[in-house]
Amino acid sequence: MLEAINLTKRYEDGELALDGLTFKVEPGEIFCMFGANGAGKTTTINLLLGFIPPTSGSALIEGVDVAKDPLGAKRHVSFVSENVMLYGNFTAIQNLDYFSKLAGKRNLAKKDYAEVLDRVGLQKEAFDRRVKNFSKGMRQKLGIAIAVVKDAPNVLLDEPTSGLDPQSGREFLEILVQMRDKGKSVFMSTHDIFRAKLIADRIGFMRKGKLVMMKTVQDLAHEDLTDLYIQYMEEQPAQAAAPSGI
Amino acid sequence: MLRDIIRKEILDNITSPKFVFTFLLCTILILLSVYTGVTNYRAEKKEYTASLALNKKNMEAQPNYNSLAGIGIKVSKPPQVLGTVVTGIEEAVGRVAPVNIAADPDLIESKYGSNPVFAVFGALDLMFIVKIVLSLFAILFTYDAIVGEKEKGTLKLALSNDLPRDRLILGKAIGGYISLLLPLLIPLLLSLIFLIVMPDISLGGQDWGRLLLIFLMFFLYLSVFFSLGLFVSARTSRSSTSFLVLLFAWVVIVMVIPKAAVITAAQARPIPSVHEITAKKDAYLQQIQVEGQKSVRDWVTKNQADAAKDPKAWQDKFRQYLQDYQQELTNKIDQNNAALERDYQQKKRAQQNLAVNLSRISPASALTFGSMTLARTGVDEYDRFLASVRAYKPIYTKWINSKLGQSINFQTGEQAKISLDDMPQHVYEQEWLSRSFVRAVPDFVLLAVLIIAFFVGAYVSFLRYDVR
Ligand SMILES: Nc1ncnc2c1ncn2[C@@H]1O[C@H](COP(=O)(O)OP(=O)(O)OP(=O)(O)O)[C@@H](O)[C@H]1O
Ligand SMILES: [Mg+2]
Repeated sequence: MLEAINLTKRYEDGELALDGLTFKVEPGEIFCMFGANGAGKTTTINLLLGFIPPTSGSALIEGVDVAKDPLGAKRHVSFVSENVMLYGNFTAIQNLDYFSKLAGKRNLAKKDYAEVLDRVGLQKEAFDRRVKNFSKGMRQKLGIAIAVVKDAPNVLLDEPTSGLDPQSGREFLEILVQMRDKGKSVFMSTHDIFRAKLIADRIGFMRKGKLVMMKTVQDLAHEDLTDLYIQYMEEQPAQAAAPSGI
Repeated sequence: MLRDIIRKEILDNITSPKFVFTFLLCTILILLSVYTGVTNYRAEKKEYTASLALNKKNMEAQPNYNSLAGIGIKVSKPPQVLGTVVTGIEEAVGRVAPVNIAADPDLIESKYGSNPVFAVFGALDLMFIVKIVLSLFAILFTYDAIVGEKEKGTLKLALSNDLPRDRLILGKAIGGYISLLLPLLIPLLLSLIFLIVMPDISLGGQDWGRLLLIFLMFFLYLSVFFSLGLFVSARTSRSSTSFLVLLFAWVVIVMVIPKAAVITAAQARPIPSVHEITAKKDAYLQQIQVEGQKSVRDWVTKNQADAAKDPKAWQDKFRQYLQDYQQELTNKIDQNNAALERDYQQKKRAQQNLAVNLSRISPASALTFGSMTLARTGVDEYDRFLASVRAYKPIYTKWINSKLGQSINFQTGEQAKISLDDMPQHVYEQEWLSRSFVRAVPDFVLLAVLIIAFFVGAYVSFLRYDVR
């Protein structure tokens, strides 16, 4: 379970990036967070991973406060970052092997890695090629494979679909659904409303560090997500809507 | 987990193009420099042996002690075998000290003096390569150690696990260090083998100890740059910045501080110029002359009465007086000159010491002086040799003087044939390893302190490093 309680972050330069953010991602749930550039999505993830300390409030992973016990909390989370370059001199398998070991998965064989890489849609020829020459999408797939191998109960993804082609995008969604079905809490920041609509259980909208709206997938059945997105992102909402569905 | 990080770091380094490049360049440079050093040493040794034989032959060929005293004896400085790796001042200082009755012995005929073009190239000894080239490689291996991983995004990814930061930096430091050592150790071992199999190069037990300590110093010196690189890479947020900062630090450490130390020392402990000394000598001479004229006049006035009585006796007395007085004045002048010279040398030495000690805050200077001390190719060994020659001079002079006194047959005017059998020999005791080591200890300590300080700096900085 992932949880943010009144999470506030003011950067050293005075920028208020998060302003009393509160949400919860239950086990077996996919939560998609929308927000314009600079809304505070990456900041939220950085706080959940303990990379930066919160100004106030707390971030919890499996009930463990990240600021108090970062290592204990991070044991239970896998992470796919926005744009990871990985080790260019290593092959896909070597990269995967290293990060699996860091995640504490030591007994995996090459065929296990191959299986995961296959699942995330990386072409077989690329398994033993140096990552240096990988395309953005190929690296993204490798990043997802790293998270899959860790197999933690919580998953944080920062714009994971940005480099994926349609075919890989679909495979990726399947992986997320499998994760949810295994009872994981999945938090994904994204700009991709179409893919999000296909799999999200809940959707949040962020604006200037605040959660301005939250909808369940049932609510969305009757509404057009694009309209909502534009309504909440591009203009000031008529009234500061109280986040619903928490 | 630490093992995995170390393994990854080594693998990452040795599969990178810079590793291959470094390895090749190190191998070429190290072997080339040791080869040059060995060739030089062999040539020097040949020359040394030849000059010993020539000197002996020359002396034996003299018909009598008079002419033997005339040519004096030439004491040659033996080349140092470890000059093959640390040339030191060997090429710049003289190799021969002529000893005779008259002059104060000094070393002359340096390699640079007899062939100044060599001075332009400088020595390409192993120490120079370590000091300049390999230190740059150390920087090349570490400037992006931390900041590069941040840029690749791997730092975030690694730290999204329950991986303590201190473990990560420790693993990176160890792995990085091992991968830096690989391209150094292999060529260095090759060069050692080269030294062993080469004929004419005989390393005694102490020399091995010295060589080992010199290599230890090389590694410490490179470790300073390694941990400095780690430190800077944990304090910058872009690898290009890190590289620039390190390059700047390198220039300051290797070029600026040693030069600045010399300039500062010259300011703080000025030594009189040669012209000043000459002027002082001239002034004294003039003073003596004036004094002398006055004394002579006084003598004449005082003894005027006698001149009238017996002019012949008076003239003899006057001549005797002049001769004695001349001798007295010459002695005075010599003494004054010697005092000035001693004072000048003392001041020069004080300035030199200050420059050396000031510059020693730079690891590059610590390496230079420390390794020179260990290789016995520094100023101190040169001084020891010169001192041994100067101590030998009175011994030799006494011997040749006694021979001169005994050898002339006053009746016939015949001179005895020379025999060198009982001529006292010059002895030169080289410094013991333990002594050299004690003198190099401050340099070892400085290098160790810097390594620890930079590493602690890197460690602490990394614990607070912004990984985003
Ligand atoms: N290190 C920092 N120092 C100061 N301000 C920062 C820092 N990092 C981010 N910010 C500010 O915090 C706000 C939120 O940034 P954040 O990266 O969380 O946005 P985001 O929602 O991830 O945007 P994007 O969609 O572009 O990824 C922005 O206004 C940004 O300028
Ligand atoms: Mg972002």
